Amino acid sequence: MTRLGFLIALAIAIPHRAQAATCDTLTNPIYLQVGDTQLNLMKRLGRALRDNTPKPITLVFITSGSCTNIQAIYTRVPVTANMQYVPSIAEDAAWDPKTSATLTCTPPGTGVVPDIANSALFNSACTTADPPATVHLTQGPAQAYVMAVPTVSTQTAITLEEAYFVFGFGMAGMIAPWTDESQLFERTVTKSTQLAWAANIGVPADKWKGVKLDGSPQVVAGINAGNASTIGILGAEVYDANRATMKALAYRAKGQYAAYYPDSSSSSRDKKNVRDGHYTVWSPTVWMDTVDAGGAPVKPDARYVIDLIAGKTVTPAQSFGMIDIVAAVGLVPDCAMGVNRSFEGGPLKLYRPTESCTCKYESLVDTSTCATCSSSCATGVCRNGFCEDH
Amino acid sequence: MTIRSVFAMLPLVFGAACSDSGDSPKDAPPQIDAGVADASCFTDPHTSYEIMNACTTAVKVYKDSHPPLLRADGTLPPLP
Repeated sequence: MTRLGFLIALAIAIPHRAQAATCDTLTNPIYLQVGDTQLNLMKRLGRALRDNTPKPITLVFITSGSCTNIQAIYTRVPVTANMQYVPSIAEDAAWDPKTSATLTCTPPGTGVVPDIANSALFNSACTTADPPATVHLTQGPAQAYVMAVPTVSTQTAITLEEAYFVFGFGMAGMIAPWTDESQLFERTVTKSTQLAWAANIGVPADKWKGVKLDGSPQVVAGINAGNASTIGILGAEVYDANRATMKALAYRAKGQYAAYYPDSSSSSRDKKNVRDGHYTVWSPTVWMDTVDAGGAPVKPDARYVIDLIAGKTVTPAQSFGMIDIVAAVGLVPDCAMGVNRSFEGGPLKLYRPTESCTCKYESLVDTSTCATCSSSCATGVCRNGFCEDH
Repeated sequence: MTIRSVFAMLPLVFGAACSDSGDSPKDAPPQIDAGVADASCFTDPHTSYEIMNACTTAVKVYKDSHPPLLRADGTLPPLP
């Protein structure tokens, strides 16, 4: 082969790094800054919205810590780094939200203030400042957090007291097998996972012993490479996507008789204990957008996205099942919750959503015992194909 | 009484204490740690304490934990 022929062959064989598109050339872009626990939601919802026939939308997002995200929308900090989005079916029919990577684009101009910011816990856990009058808060699905260990670990549960000593004292806490501080994997202090656990075990986020990691994937990697003394904290939906290589510990809160998994068993995915209050380490996700002086959303399509995530009825109706997406990524829709709370780690209260979707949710994550329906029910209300009790 | 006999009695304790948890012992994983079973569960929970300890068919993991640094009265010492 000649030198020229070799170079041509090389040029064909080596894939070119695609020039990132400018985000504002995408169809109806909505810019979001979300917690990295919401990545799976962004991918699945992003895919559905690209092909949402009544109102196509491109979710253009970047992940960061919840506290950083709150500040971004409270003080209007523009995103300047490359952002992510997912392809439509027409662009890539084989794209899979579970396994395929996102695409990247360049924010327009000198950066873009996010239309939507997300906190995966109560905003009050990050800042005591009231939201500006220009920011509207909407409560979305509930997000559980877990302590996870490698599959080689023989541990099945951790108590509040043990977690307090493990992460508050480190090796000096003498809680076997978690006495090696190089094997305690946690998050930095702006992350919801860290703050939620901090509020629940009573160890301030900046006082934890162990290894502080910026992203959930790093915690996953640490656990996967770990040993019997390894433990890490993760969002439950991140854990759900990595169950093959790790296991979540049951957790016993203060005053509880027993420890519980987020789900009704270690192998189920029904989030039963989150929904009924037996598993206490969870937070509502909070979704924020900007409003004008009259309280109307500055970008109605951003509110459309938020209302979808929050389980509200939207106009025009979307062409996909939103509860299906929320359930698939390990979150719990508010309409399936039976408890709530008013601050991070606060006491639980019984909760009755305005319109229950428990039957529908359980049909997706387990088996629903509810009657099915097409228009009416002998008792209850026909909704999403099931006779919900209200 | 041996640990084995304590485990053997757990189903009876649960069955008597909580009307809707009759299948809990069946669901419980074999790696349940030795510990004190709940004296009762709440069938009509209202407070946070009652909600956390409401009767349930979910798997319960009992752990008899005695952190060395826990104070004698069961309270936690301040962080270092």
